[in-house]
Amino acid sequence: MHEYSLASAIVEQVKKIALGHNASKVKTITVSADPYEMVIPDLLKEAYGIITDELELFKDSKLELLILPAEIICIDCDHKGEPSIEGDDEFAYNFKCAKCGSRDTHLNIRHLTIETVDLEIPE
Amino acid sequence: MTQEKKITVKKQAYLVNDEIADKIRHIMKEKDKLFFNIMGSIGAGKTLLLERIAEKLTPHYKIFVINGDVATTIDADRIAAKGATTVQINTGGGCHLSANLIQKELDKINIDDYDIFFAENVGNLICPAAWDVGAQMNIVVVSITEGEYVIKKHPIIFKGAAIAVINKCDLDGLGFDSGNLVEDAGKIKSDMRVICTSAKTSLGLESLIEALGIQLP
Ligand SMILES: Nc1nc2c(ncn2[C@@H]2O[C@H](COP(=O)(O)OP(=O)(O)O)[C@@H](O)[C@H]2O)c(=O)[nH]1
Ligand SMILES: [Mg+2]
Ligand SMILES: [Zn+2]
Repeated sequence: MHEYSLASAIVEQVKKIALGHNASKVKTITVSADPYEMVIPDLLKEAYGIITDELELFKDSKLELLILPAEIICIDCDHKGEPSIEGDDEFAYNFKCAKCGSRDTHLNIRHLTIETVDLEIPE
Repeated sequence: MTQEKKITVKKQAYLVNDEIADKIRHIMKEKDKLFFNIMGSIGAGKTLLLERIAEKLTPHYKIFVINGDVATTIDADRIAAKGATTVQINTGGGCHLSANLIQKELDKINIDDYDIFFAENVGNLICPAAWDVGAQMNIVVVSITEGEYVIKKHPIIFKGAAIAVINKCDLDGLGFDSGNLVEDAGKIKSDMRVICTSAKTSLGLESLIEALGIQLP
């Protein structure tokens, strides 16, 4: 439940970017998140809505969220990539190596990232 | 007239937090200090373990503990009674500590006055995993009274930890079993230390202090 902190961190960063480009409006913000980061998309959007509600710069703007595939790094065979498609019936999340099946892996969480911002800039 | 422009940003939302965390880690390293982030569920025994650790360490080291809790100063007072300097951060409902909260407390003290720093994170097995507080090592504490599936249900926080502490092992055999948790923790990743402790009887305390890399004379 830290979607509110995240949404406000996004808004703060985008505000700076928009000001830096002399933008009059923020139209769309695209962010990417790791599935194992536990960000709840609806809560993030809701928090974003609440935070930007009274901000003229963000009026009618949209927050779009892309969920990336999870990424693990295998300690046994060095393979790096999505976990195996078979899944893991023992643990709540699948960390199994797609190459050798080992669960002895590191998790490379790609934290919530602001990918692009669509701005409206007066000419 | 206006024009529309797509700006490529590629910056983490956590950027500000992570920059502060890196700065804290850097300063601690430069000054040759240790800083540990203790995470775990509510009631796992984080505070009691810190009391025991403080008892062991304070004759030899100056200890500073930052306690994160939604409210109250109970934990900070408990650990202070064991000879450590403590400060309570009340997150006011927040589910995790963040680097700026730690930095604010460090700003109020002289880091040189202490040797070893601990943060007791807010009791939660989900959110603190995502927030770097600038510690050199993350430790996750679970207790055998939390049920045998606690690690299977919350493996993500362990992926980022160097040590998994299985606490309340004094209750082993008394209707609780440490075996499952030790086994599950062992399946998380081979480079995580798994240590059974009892903050009540001090079982495993020496192994834990050794795993933290703290030398006792
Ligand atoms: N039997 C037993 N009880 C413990 C142990 N560690 C903590 N407790 C008890 O568990 C409760 C919660 O402990 P506390 O340290 O406050 O947990 P925290 O929420 O993780 O800080 C308290 O009543 C402690 O006395 C332990 O190793 N064995
Ligand atoms: Mg506590
Ligand atoms: Zn592998």
